[in-house]
Amino acid sequence: MRRPRTRHYTEEELLLHFLGEETPGVKAEIAAHLLECGECDAIFAEYGDLVGKIQAWAVPEVPDLIWQAQKTRLLAQYRQDYAGGRRGGMISSFLGILQSAWNYALENPLPTLAYIAVAIAFALERTISTFRLDRILPGASEVFEILRQVF
Amino acid sequence: MVSPQSDEDLVANILKGEEDAFSQLHDRYRHRIHSTVYRIIQDAAEAQDATQEVFVKLYRSLSDWDARKARFSTWLYRLAANHAIDRWRVRRRRLETQPSEASDREPAQERPVGDAILTPYGALEKKESIELIRRCVDDLPELQKKVFLLRYFQDLKLDEIADMEDCSLGTVKTSLFRATQAVRRAVRRTGGVR
Repeated sequence: MRRPRTRHYTEEELLLHFLGEETPGVKAEIAAHLLECGECDAIFAEYGDLVGKIQAWAVPEVPDLIWQAQKTRLLAQYRQDYAGGRRGGMISSFLGILQSAWNYALENPLPTLAYIAVAIAFALERTISTFRLDRILPGASEVFEILRQVF
Repeated sequence: MVSPQSDEDLVANILKGEEDAFSQLHDRYRHRIHSTVYRIIQDAAEAQDATQEVFVKLYRSLSDWDARKARFSTWLYRLAANHAIDRWRVRRRRLETQPSEASDREPAQERPVGDAILTPYGALEKKESIELIRRCVDDLPELQKKVFLLRYFQDLKLDEIADMEDCSLGTVKTSLFRATQAVRRAVRRTGGVR
């Protein structure tokens, strides 16, 4: 048999209980505690009130005409992407990846520059060793060393 | 009467290139996607654009959806929330560099539907608390924002969100609590919650 609870429930436990997301097995225990403890019950009621306020946040209606226009544009694009079968889909996916990379670069210019620099340094190292450029271009190794130290 | 196709059937047909299936999926999810996206971006025009982009992303990445890992709707809400957060970051950066744009545009967009006829005190109080909640959500860290919106407005269970975000249930519970606490503090400061 479980011992009667001696401490109050935390606010997190009370919120989760309100949402029906409490740890399995404690639902009845919390419900019983709330009947006896005015303090926890007041906090529980406050969270109920708050969740009601949060869920009252409505989103502006979008007129049907706008949805229809959007659907027409989407279907045209979908048709275009699928016109070439999977090939079209692959090109679109590739363009999607490029678009995502571009967006990332715009949002994070410094890390992007660092990635590019590392890629260049790596490519230089591989190029120098593969083609033995240090024999043809005596300064190539030094340039690579400088780049490596900088980045 | 023809019974509506399941999400799984629609997805299979979209992958075959059936326009009608894509059209049905748009009808089924546009409001829910738009509501998630709007609450993150908080700009009516950008939310509509972003909703359209989510649907483009949807059919381009549809083959990534694994029915064994998540319900289709859960996967779609994640796609929408992540896309909206990307757009929100860009928008926030733009507003930081062009503050005049923010002050010019936001008040008109924040007006709730039918606002012009809301005059009683209760309606005003409700509008103020929604405005506070809106601001709080805008300032939440990304995971907290996602958990908050998906739990309170899309009725996703916390374990579904945990699976979707590939993090522990405890992390999701804590995120939801912290986000709710932030809103509670803000509403309390103005005496909005008993």
